[in-house]
Amino acid sequence: MSKPSSRTASIFVLLALLWSFSAQAQTLSKLLKLPEMPKLPQNLQIHGFASQSWLMSSGNNNFFGPSSSGSGSFDFRELGLNASMRPLSRLQFSAQMLSRTAGVGSPGNVRLDYGFMDYTFFSGETSQLGIRLGRMKNPLGFYNDTRDVPFTRPSILLPQSIYFDRTRKLAIAADGVHLYGEHRSDLGDVSFQAGTVRPLVRGDEAEAAVFNRQLPGHLAPEISYTGRVNYDLDGGRVRFAVSATQLNMRYAPGAVDGLHSGSIRFTPLIFSAQYNAERWSLTSEYALRHLEYKNFGVQQLTLDFYGESYYFQGAYRVTPELEAIVRYDVLFTDKDDPSGRKYAAATGLPAFNRFAKDLTAGLRWNVTPEFMLRAEYHHVNGAAWLSTLDNPNLNTPNSPVSQHWDLFTVLGSYRF
Amino acid sequence: MTIRINLSRFILFVCLLLGVIYAGIAKATEGYEIVTNPSVSEKTLSKSSLRAIFGMRLHTWPDGTAVRVYVMPDNAPLHAAFSKEKLNVFPYQLRSTWDRLVFSGTGQAPDTVTSPEEMLARIASTPGAIGYLSKFMIDGRVNVLEIK
Repeated sequence: MSKPSSRTASIFVLLALLWSFSAQAQTLSKLLKLPEMPKLPQNLQIHGFASQSWLMSSGNNNFFGPSSSGSGSFDFRELGLNASMRPLSRLQFSAQMLSRTAGVGSPGNVRLDYGFMDYTFFSGETSQLGIRLGRMKNPLGFYNDTRDVPFTRPSILLPQSIYFDRTRKLAIAADGVHLYGEHRSDLGDVSFQAGTVRPLVRGDEAEAAVFNRQLPGHLAPEISYTGRVNYDLDGGRVRFAVSATQLNMRYAPGAVDGLHSGSIRFTPLIFSAQYNAERWSLTSEYALRHLEYKNFGVQQLTLDFYGESYYFQGAYRVTPELEAIVRYDVLFTDKDDPSGRKYAAATGLPAFNRFAKDLTAGLRWNVTPEFMLRAEYHHVNGAAWLSTLDNPNLNTPNSPVSQHWDLFTVLGSYRF
Repeated sequence: MTIRINLSRFILFVCLLLGVIYAGIAKATEGYEIVTNPSVSEKTLSKSSLRAIFGMRLHTWPDGTAVRVYVMPDNAPLHAAFSKEKLNVFPYQLRSTWDRLVFSGTGQAPDTVTSPEEMLARIASTPGAIGYLSKFMIDGRVNVLEIK
């Protein structure tokens, strides 16, 4: 709460709530004359979700808690509650609180996932232009905006090559201002959003994502930029998107610290494509991630390299209630060293820590529109997206982690 | 030889079955219209505007009135027919569009009604309302909207 931007976001949430209360009070005063069931003000919407997963993995490869133990891991739980309010047709307030438990890195603390004010300053029959202020989800690829909502994901675990759970905190949301716009025509709909933001870099999870370990100092946010352009043809039968983000962070050394005040720049570029037919959908995304570490005063932390990720995914709806999915997902931490051999030679650490190839097959069953069950199986070659928090000896020469491993997971999720 | 005969019988059976199912669906959704509250002055609308309205991205009528969207549940035959024929999208696409808006805070979901009677009542009583109804349900309390 010490950050001014999170205070700003909280004020927006408070405003939205006050607004809703005053509207409710008006409704209540009317109800005194007309005894009826009280209902929410017409444009206040409240939605939420709750999910619980169980994961079981082979070897000593832990994903989201002690998944390789005999009883597997129940440490994957997502709870969310959101409210949105449209007091004017051009103005919307939205906020979502989220609690996410996912292994050591996400202990389930309740936090503001997003909270912002959205004002459409131009709205015509074929186009619109608007602004958002507060904490917004970063527009990255097809899934980042709603990555913690199981109903909106194609599988229990998003393709980890692009939606790393290890670095989610950096990628998920940021405080600042977004501009957005849209133009609709017979040739398709083009929409964009672009923002200047401060990334959320506090906490062990962000530090583990950036340094693979905990350090005496801490990360501080710098002005960052994010944007995405979408093109939807024929009401979304064909969807394309290009997302680009430049995340800037600074390292503030601790009292006793071998590191200088270095800077980190993370620049992912993502290309996304999807085809939707009645029974099946094909999706593919490709990401090129530029990582630069500068001025740390240490050779090992002077880095400048590109990571590469992509996946192909096919979903088939056997019935509207039952969906099957297969995916092949590939991650190279350093695209110039896809086998990890150079890394292994330089560091003595396992080469397979630098790539992951994940073949996934899964089933989704919409038991009711509100309740969903899922099961999926992953066969993985490599450990590049495993977290050091769940696997403390991952970056040691005697890493207990296996190169070839399997992961089985089930999920139940409720929404309203 | 017997296999071939059985196969052709099987195909015939499947065709008949599909025919029966199709007839059933066709009957359930026979003749429907897009309807609005009488306060809406629009008599015609382009397909892309209709899509934007049901995609929850167009929030106002040209006169400035707020648009209020009403839909049937995802699995209602009338909803499926309307989505496919009028919007050229499948119900699952609409659901994922609405979910993206609702769970990223960038929009709201339409109101779901549970019966055609409720659809008629809500559209008749809500200024700016739009939805769809079987022809035999339509009366003077709602306007029919043509799609160009």
